[in-house]
Amino acid sequence: MKYPTQKIALMYFAVALGLFAVQVSMGLLIGWIYVSPNFLSEVLPFNIGRMLHTNSLVVWLLLGFFGAAYYLIPEESERDIHSPFLAYLQLGILVLGTLGVVVTYLFSLFKGSLLFGFSGREFIEQPIWVKIGIAVAAVIFLYNISMTVLKGRKTAITNILLLGLWLMVLLFLFAFYNPANLALDKQYWWFVIHLWVEATWELVMASILAFLVLKLTGVDREVIEKWLYIIVALALFSGILGTGHHYYWIGMPPYWQWIGNIFSSLEVAPLFAMMAFTFVMVWKGRRDHPNKAALLWSLGCSVVAFFGAGVWGFLHTLHGINYYTHGTQITAAHGHLAFYGAYVMLNLAMFSYAMPILRNRDPYNQVLNMGAFWLMTAGMAFMTFTLTFAGTIQTHMQRVEGVDYMSVQDQLWIFYVMRFGSGVAVVIGAYILIYALAFPRREVVKAGPVQSHKSAETPAE
Amino acid sequence: MTATQGWLVLVALSVGSTLLAWSGSTGAVAAVAILALAWVKAQIVLNVYLGLSQVPAWSRGFAFVLGLFMLGAMGLAVAAGAV
Amino acid sequence: MSDSDESGGESDFYALPGDLMMWILIISELLVFGAGLLAFMAMRVTDPAGFTAAQGHLNATAAGINTVVLVTSGWLAALALKASEAGQVARVRLLLAAAASLGMLFLWIKGMEYAGKAAEGINFETHTFFTFYFLLTGFHALHVLAGIVILALVGWKASPRNLEVGTAFWHMVDLVWVLLFPIIYLLR
Repeated sequence: MKYPTQKIALMYFAVALGLFAVQVSMGLLIGWIYVSPNFLSEVLPFNIGRMLHTNSLVVWLLLGFFGAAYYLIPEESERDIHSPFLAYLQLGILVLGTLGVVVTYLFSLFKGSLLFGFSGREFIEQPIWVKIGIAVAAVIFLYNISMTVLKGRKTAITNILLLGLWLMVLLFLFAFYNPANLALDKQYWWFVIHLWVEATWELVMASILAFLVLKLTGVDREVIEKWLYIIVALALFSGILGTGHHYYWIGMPPYWQWIGNIFSSLEVAPLFAMMAFTFVMVWKGRRDHPNKAALLWSLGCSVVAFFGAGVWGFLHTLHGINYYTHGTQITAAHGHLAFYGAYVMLNLAMFSYAMPILRNRDPYNQVLNMGAFWLMTAGMAFMTFTLTFAGTIQTHMQRVEGVDYMSVQDQLWIFYVMRFGSGVAVVIGAYILIYALAFPRREVVKAGPVQSHKSAETPAE
Repeated sequence: MTATQGWLVLVALSVGSTLLAWSGSTGAVAAVAILALAWVKAQIVLNVYLGLSQVPAWSRGFAFVLGLFMLGAMGLAVAAGAV
Repeated sequence: MSDSDESGGESDFYALPGDLMMWILIISELLVFGAGLLAFMAMRVTDPAGFTAAQGHLNATAAGINTVVLVTSGWLAALALKASEAGQVARVRLLLAAAASLGMLFLWIKGMEYAGKAAEGINFETHTFFTFYFLLTGFHALHVLAGIVILALVGWKASPRNLEVGTAFWHMVDLVWVLLFPIIYLLR
């Protein structure tokens, strides 16, 4: 760690990891409700559990991105963060908002109140006061990092990161606009989470990956920047109009079907480019960085993102196919693998890289960390397969044969049991990972001659 | 081929394909002929206007993908005539 | 067409004339239009008679004239690049102005065509043919408009490098049209 204010990131990462634990635990709980539908139906209805699962996911990913920005911007801009106080204030507002959301959801408080009660739009259910808090925190964040970047060295990595984060915050403003016309409501609703994951977060992802690859492989910055620009151009070109694939069945004009088909098919391109990028850079690399776990997460991120977001997204993006699969377990399969691959793994890569440095010690617990990687990734892959099979059967029985929804759900029970099993693996993996990152002792396995030689020779950077 | 020569060929081919369509000839042969003229025009734009003839590797790559596209279009044109 | 040596390997990656990012854009655009045109051709297989009837409402002659207009404009842009390499800035600007004017002529003819369709009460939803017709020619017309702006910009800052980048975009617009024109207007 070169700049004292990078330390801000540690607090963000800590809160993010806490919410990560909440998110996966809640996932396990609602996964069990699929197996035994009356479980907790009075105390914690499924819709509330699901809100907590998805909302905490988004919030911890965002906290991870904010933390990553506070970590990497000083290093790239070669100066300290403009105002550490504002950074902690921002975190405080977000934590307060998150607690408010959890309490409001759990106890179903202020029902019907516009300002304090939760609203019904999926993923942006937060009460208005929380939304305002998020917006204020976001503006503080943008001010803080923009001031830092403006005064310091400008690199492609910070430029792209800032672009992604600015666009993300601007798009969040659509969460406040809720027209009465349902088609219009949906049209703007897709701007918030979905234009994030398909456009602006991809910029964030590309720049964070570029930073990690730069540090871990030691490839020339020029080469990395060229790739970064290509990836970003492809992501913006395909991602913005690619959102048309959400406009197939919501009352928008039918030409959206063709715009959505064509542009969203191209969304595979930036994801493929990112995968090619990480592998080519590791192959060309000149540095043998001691933090193997961070490298594993970086490579894994680009691969699983390609499959989860790219391949599994393409599976049901064409409107002729989506007409049948829309809203079935196919969507759930894609959603799980895409979020895990693209954004969860990205954050975990950054945590694995930065946390040892922030705590000023060697990357301990790498073996445990890598074990958690394989447990979580294998669990997620298995979950994706079970949900894909469940979705295929569901599509056929419900949409082709016309069997009613609940009868089909009964037939899918065995898949939900298997999904729960894979969920257990993911949650255990997540707990192990959190332990490995947060409670360092020493490496569980004694390093061999090559690794210990390298660790001694290349101090962690 | 210079830009001017390329332009003259492009104009001639454009007039040619319009006349072909005007002549009222329909069916698979006419469709393939019109698409073949478009194929040549696209190659001229790529190699002469866009200057890909200076970069043979890229020129071959573009020609290959364009070829796949044109063959696909021709196949679909013939299929539409056959239905 | 070429007498330059073939050089394999990585150097070719950076050997494309102009700016790499412009080529990324060009390739992306070509993929989009290519996919759109193939989707059009595939939909046409499902209803050849309906597509032919719908196509009867189009004016192939006006579109043919537009083809000549656009390839001529492309030629002027190519000459402008040559002139800029020779350092003749005044000639560059004259040629670019002519190229951009032909672009505007193209848009004017296109506008007449759209007005004619509107007068007939034809819109996006009249027939699948017209969905594709408006989408593909509309997207293309937007690129012509963008191209005119780009030509104006590179005419203002008329360095050979800028010209290479700007005219490459204009040629891409040309290339899309020479493929789009026969497929939408002529095949029957």
